[in-house]
Amino acid sequence: MSEPLDTFARVMDDSYVTYATVADWKKQHGRPAVGYFPVYFPSEVAHAMGYLPVGILGASGRVGLDMATAHTQSFVCSISRSVFQLGLQGNLDMMDVLVFSNICDVARNLSGITQRNLPNRSIEYLHYPINNTSAHAAEYLRGEYLRLAERMVAAGGHKLETEALRKSMVLFNRKRALQEELLAIRKNTPWVVPYTEFYAALRAGATLPVETYVEMLESYLTGVRARESRSKDGVRVLVLGNFCEQPPLPLMKSVEEAGCYVIQDEALVGERWLGQMDPRSADPLLALAQGYVQNLEPMTVRFHPTVDKQADLLSKTQRLGIEGVIFTSPKFCEPALYDYMIGKAALDKAGIPYLHIEYEESMSSFENARTMVETFTESILFD
Amino acid sequence: MPQEASLSFDSLDKAKRLQGEITKRYFQSLTAAHKEGKKIGYGFVMANPIEFFNVFDIVPLYPEVTSLNISYRGGAPPLIALAEEEGYSTDACGYVKMGVAAATDNTSTAIGALPKPDVLLLTYSGCQIYIHWWEQLHYQTGAPILTIDVPYVREYDGHVDPHDVKYVSAQLQEAIPEMEKVSGKRFDENRFKEVIALSAKAWDLWGQVVEMGKLRPTPFDAYFESIYYMAPITIIRGTQEAVDFYAFLLDELKERASRGVGPTAEERYRLVFEGVPNYPFFKKFWNLFRQNNARAVASTYPKVAGMVDTGSFRMNPERPFDSIAEYMIHAYCNWNMPMRTRLLEKYVRDYHADGVVIHSIKSCRSFSMGEGDMREYLAKDRDIPTLLIESDHVDPRYYSEAQIKNRVEAFFETLALRKGVA
Repeated sequence: MSEPLDTFARVMDDSYVTYATVADWKKQHGRPAVGYFPVYFPSEVAHAMGYLPVGILGASGRVGLDMATAHTQSFVCSISRSVFQLGLQGNLDMMDVLVFSNICDVARNLSGITQRNLPNRSIEYLHYPINNTSAHAAEYLRGEYLRLAERMVAAGGHKLETEALRKSMVLFNRKRALQEELLAIRKNTPWVVPYTEFYAALRAGATLPVETYVEMLESYLTGVRARESRSKDGVRVLVLGNFCEQPPLPLMKSVEEAGCYVIQDEALVGERWLGQMDPRSADPLLALAQGYVQNLEPMTVRFHPTVDKQADLLSKTQRLGIEGVIFTSPKFCEPALYDYMIGKAALDKAGIPYLHIEYEESMSSFENARTMVETFTESILFD
Repeated sequence: MPQEASLSFDSLDKAKRLQGEITKRYFQSLTAAHKEGKKIGYGFVMANPIEFFNVFDIVPLYPEVTSLNISYRGGAPPLIALAEEEGYSTDACGYVKMGVAAATDNTSTAIGALPKPDVLLLTYSGCQIYIHWWEQLHYQTGAPILTIDVPYVREYDGHVDPHDVKYVSAQLQEAIPEMEKVSGKRFDENRFKEVIALSAKAWDLWGQVVEMGKLRPTPFDAYFESIYYMAPITIIRGTQEAVDFYAFLLDELKERASRGVGPTAEERYRLVFEGVPNYPFFKKFWNLFRQNNARAVASTYPKVAGMVDTGSFRMNPERPFDSIAEYMIHAYCNWNMPMRTRLLEKYVRDYHADGVVIHSIKSCRSFSMGEGDMREYLAKDRDIPTLLIESDHVDPRYYSEAQIKNRVEAFFETLALRKGVA
């Protein structure tokens, strides 16, 4: 394994429960960390204030849920319960601030019960606009970012300065551009980067300091570009639904082993979704808010009145040469379940094959899913 | 119940029948609307700016209200089955499934065939599924979505920043041209103010009604009976008829109080209720409490239509958009969980309740996620007897009658021991 990949794998393993990477960084730099619940977070703002932004992506079956179970219902998703458990048992103690947002009802209520149970921590809630055609939406979101910044000052961060924000935007632009490059490699030559490797490279970016990550990802991509590997046959699939709760890696591995190439999916989508921001903008904070409000790339948890999800899905399948779509819905995740219905209707009309698989963080048997994907793959190959 | 008391109660239980007539007329107005050339606007109960529909003569249809009424009449299973055959998950909200099934061509329901929307007014307050629900209907029917984004009350002390109010207010004003386009009617500010003034009167009266639960004994059941009484504030608010209804109800409850009658033979237990009721088994569920002479003295569910008893908003024709914005922000599920939990505790204290019942439903994570934490706080930190039951509001498959009955009976045994009641 190459050095960057070693680090990505180590950081990924650490990002489920232990967060030693974060603790080490804090010890070394003497600065605070902010943990954010998926999907999108304006990391530039936190970085400019001296924080280490850290994605809290769930424990993926690595902790028992005994403490969380008493406080949450049996019919809510795994990630919310495992993150709550991590909070209760102290694994998130090194996060000086925890941020939730309006991605779903569960995440929203999770912010409140986390606050009640961790009363000495700064638990913040960001309201992202949903009326993104309103003339007032971007300014409103800018106000939300400023409100968050005030709280982050109180929790130990620097004051948000415009020049610092510009510098952070340059770094995060670079991070997103490199991740897009990785995605392009998967799109054009998926056999070069196995999914597990691709995922580790993305996931490490939600924990590592951006400066370190960018350097490592550049080095990793240089290595990937130099790889010599012959093309192999595989069914080109688009995977949707894994935008928040992370599917167990063996599940995604099963998809590949069953003969599919995951050409694109929604893993860690919030890390790269914003695209390129203009750091020279007169008001860079407003530019960040506009980036959220005006982005027409569909994202399940961000409603935009003018986005046509069905047209976009069909155009994406064509653009990426997709032969089939796999909807992977986390158990009890209503946003994913409803978008599945919207996508399914479009695919039915267009005659594009699709498959629906549900998963949970703690699932341990993948045979059934593998058989389903194998059958799906064969139906495409022999159609 | 002694015969004399029973007769007295029946003669003082006319508001429910009146509500039934109002609701029936409302459903008739829905089916007649298209024939009369009126436009149908779909809306939500929480943060419902009915005044906005009224001023454009758009007939509002609330799929939550139609679904609960269909469910109450036993009509949910075929609609849920239809949606699940289409591919909707068993884990999806029952209201959404019933809503999309009812909007499918040639579908009849227990309250008749429902008209399709001309506009879907997405007032995003307290429920994320509102967005997804309207998206389903948008792709299904082609009706446009008109969005009003309502920020969550996210400060744990309940503070709402003025920029939240301005933001909602500005969006309402932005929506006027769209509403004019859909309705074909010009916005009439004077009429808007008149409608708001009527709304304010209805809210004031409804506020006085819910406060009557403080009387000992309470003259009404502030959960099970309130579920009937809350309908007009949602479906006909902004009319004289709504004002008249709440004036009649208030008089009736005052009369009950003066005669010392109520919905049970006596008031042995005073309870606070949290959560959406079970509509398919509504009366059976109520009976589990009624037969123990328990009355609800306060509850949160009737506040989904507006936090009428917390001083959070007051409709004001002199500041029409801002006061509607404040009302929309303060829907019950738009409050953060610590605020909701503290409200339950306050109800127990202010209404001298003996315990709390949480009816947690699978369909609605907005209500339910974290209700376990409410129980932890109330029972463990505050030593308030608290019962948490899980079922659903519309899907009868999740109502386990024997299990719920056992849990309720055990709860009353606990209450009896604490009160020293034999």
